[in-house]
Amino acid sequence: MSDRDFDDISDIEMDERLRRFAGSSRTPGLPDETAALPWTVQVEKPGRGPLNLGSGLAPTFAALRRGAAAGARLVVTLAVAATFVAVVGQVRSNASTQNYVGAPAVVPAPTGSAPAAGAGSPEVVVVPTSGVVDDVMADHVAAAVRRAEADGAAAVVIQLDTLGGSEAAMLRIDSALHSKIPTIVWVGPSGAKAASAGTFITLSANLAYMAPSTNIGAASPVAAGGSDIAATYGQTEADKVMNDAIATMRAVAQERHPLAVAWAISTVQAAQSYTAQEALDAHAINGLAASLDDVLAAADGQTVTTSAGPVVILTKGATTLSIAEDPIQAVLHTLDDPNIAFILLVLGVLCVLVEFFHPTMLVGLTGALSLALAFYGSGSLPLNLLGVVLVVLGILMLVLEPSVPSHGLLTVGGLITFLVGAVAFYGSPGPYLPSVQVAWPIIGTMTAVAAAYGLLLVRTLLQMRNLAVPVGSGMVGTVSVIGEAGEVQASLAPVGTVYLCGETWTARARDHATLGRGTKVKVVGQEGLTLVVERID
Amino acid sequence: MFAKEAVLGGDAARKPAVRESVAGRAIDSEFVAALEGELGMAYRLAGYLMADSAEAQDAVQEASVRAWRSWPKLREREKFHSWFSQILVNVCRTRLGQRSRRRTQDVDEVDVEATDPFRASLARDAVGRALSALSNELRMVVVLRYWGDMPLAEIADRLKIPIGTVKSRHHAALQVLRRRIEPAEGGSR
Repeated sequence: MSDRDFDDISDIEMDERLRRFAGSSRTPGLPDETAALPWTVQVEKPGRGPLNLGSGLAPTFAALRRGAAAGARLVVTLAVAATFVAVVGQVRSNASTQNYVGAPAVVPAPTGSAPAAGAGSPEVVVVPTSGVVDDVMADHVAAAVRRAEADGAAAVVIQLDTLGGSEAAMLRIDSALHSKIPTIVWVGPSGAKAASAGTFITLSANLAYMAPSTNIGAASPVAAGGSDIAATYGQTEADKVMNDAIATMRAVAQERHPLAVAWAISTVQAAQSYTAQEALDAHAINGLAASLDDVLAAADGQTVTTSAGPVVILTKGATTLSIAEDPIQAVLHTLDDPNIAFILLVLGVLCVLVEFFHPTMLVGLTGALSLALAFYGSGSLPLNLLGVVLVVLGILMLVLEPSVPSHGLLTVGGLITFLVGAVAFYGSPGPYLPSVQVAWPIIGTMTAVAAAYGLLLVRTLLQMRNLAVPVGSGMVGTVSVIGEAGEVQASLAPVGTVYLCGETWTARARDHATLGRGTKVKVVGQEGLTLVVERID
Repeated sequence: MFAKEAVLGGDAARKPAVRESVAGRAIDSEFVAALEGELGMAYRLAGYLMADSAEAQDAVQEASVRAWRSWPKLREREKFHSWFSQILVNVCRTRLGQRSRRRTQDVDEVDVEATDPFRASLARDAVGRALSALSNELRMVVVLRYWGDMPLAEIADRLKIPIGTVKSRHHAALQVLRRRIEPAEGGSR
């Protein structure tokens, strides 16, 4: 044989011996059930390897189905994202158009002192607003004023109730109010506020009326992130922002009434808030009006200076045309609500984190969308960065509880962090930014949701732990496993291993008997970590 | 969720050709006939490679399933024997590797106990007991050479290693076995 070219003579001897031994080795027959084994095939789960795709029609269909589902979800994701981007883009582009185009060019400028009242009764455009002063509100007001100009309305009435908002949006509303037709701001109905940026808007209009039991006023400047400017940028920067706000307010008030200037500045400098009557006494507003009809009655016959010159307002018997936000604006404006922005952020963070641990795609998609909406909504809100970080950290701690052994400390710490973050979620108020806080019931509810999530996790973990440890198995210390039954894993000859209570133990057979693999045994003694077992029948 | 068991056991399993399908494909009587001719030798090889009848049965079954999966891709049906033993050797090699990673060599327990037919057979002679001293690589060469009765060139083909490597492993294995046996037999040489 060609392969018998051995280097060593001793190899020949060994070769011969092995040949004889192997030749005499019998071949055990395959047991009957094993001879059939190849046909007792357990089809592996499809998807474990590319090989499986071709192994039958059913897995192929399954793969196709999963592929289709994934594709559909991707399409839905993209569609939702595209819609969102389109909506936001639409609103933004409206905003920029209005900024640069200003008043439409095709309005026939009235030449006399009287406005073009139309053939029939005069028309007054009413613009109800509420909530945060943001780009959505600015778009809405600017569009309504343009519409009123185009219609040749007798006047525009902005019904205002706000805690304030962003400076940029405020300035846009301010500029929209300097229109060719008379503009009136009515702070109403009773209980309404014209705080922070609302104060500027109220004073910017040609005429300003407030319902009884309404307030007007502001507070100290804060940075866009919501933190105190003096603390963030130093006193110089704080003074700069303050002086800027005072200058703006001075200019606005000067137009209104010289006597109102000092009063108006106090709303900025001393963060003063005033009642409607106090504002009237300070000549900051033109009068009190409990209702829209009162506003129209009070405004009738007054002469105001518009950008087209002096105009006599004729609102007697006027018909009113109310221009509400369109549905998309309403939704986007709702997002600016401090509570909704908070809820969206919490849900978004929670969903995205959960997605990491239990990937379902849908949860992640919801989370990403919530986060996107939360960030859009919080654009006009004085977010406190520290508060946001604490909230996110708190949720992260809750979600990490199962992965990090902390004996519940992470859950408790996470809840506390979350609570503190929620309370400090928004910063202190300023001349434009509203004084906002997440409502306590919302904080309570969201903390409860987070706590419920944490408790659910802990409970599940405890259940799992109970499953893993059979009662009385005695894994630790001197607790005994004597009496437990198990199975021989590595033959006891006399020492081997047995499997019992979920563990592999070193064991020897009693009386040094030999027990084969698979033999059922019972523990009769223990020597250190070695068990003494005997066969059970 | 998509896991499916095509259990084709029971009495009928004695006649595999009766079964209609495995893994979603109709059973091919040509495959059945070819496989049945291989099972005995496959079990012998796997048994002496693993020195464990249960593991050998598992290996034979796994190799059969793999063969069934790849059967449509086998062009030259007359080469079924070498093709199947190739699959079997791969399966055994993988299982041996997994076993040595799992715990210390189970093969050391080739001992007096006679519950396993392969262990019992090996325990008859010092040379059989000494097999457990071989590494997986050397053991495979020895078992294929003597229990599989393969020439070294064929072993090289099955293991996909150069013929030179097979020769050196063969030599090394014989040396190890000889050193193992000599002290036990009082240096009979």
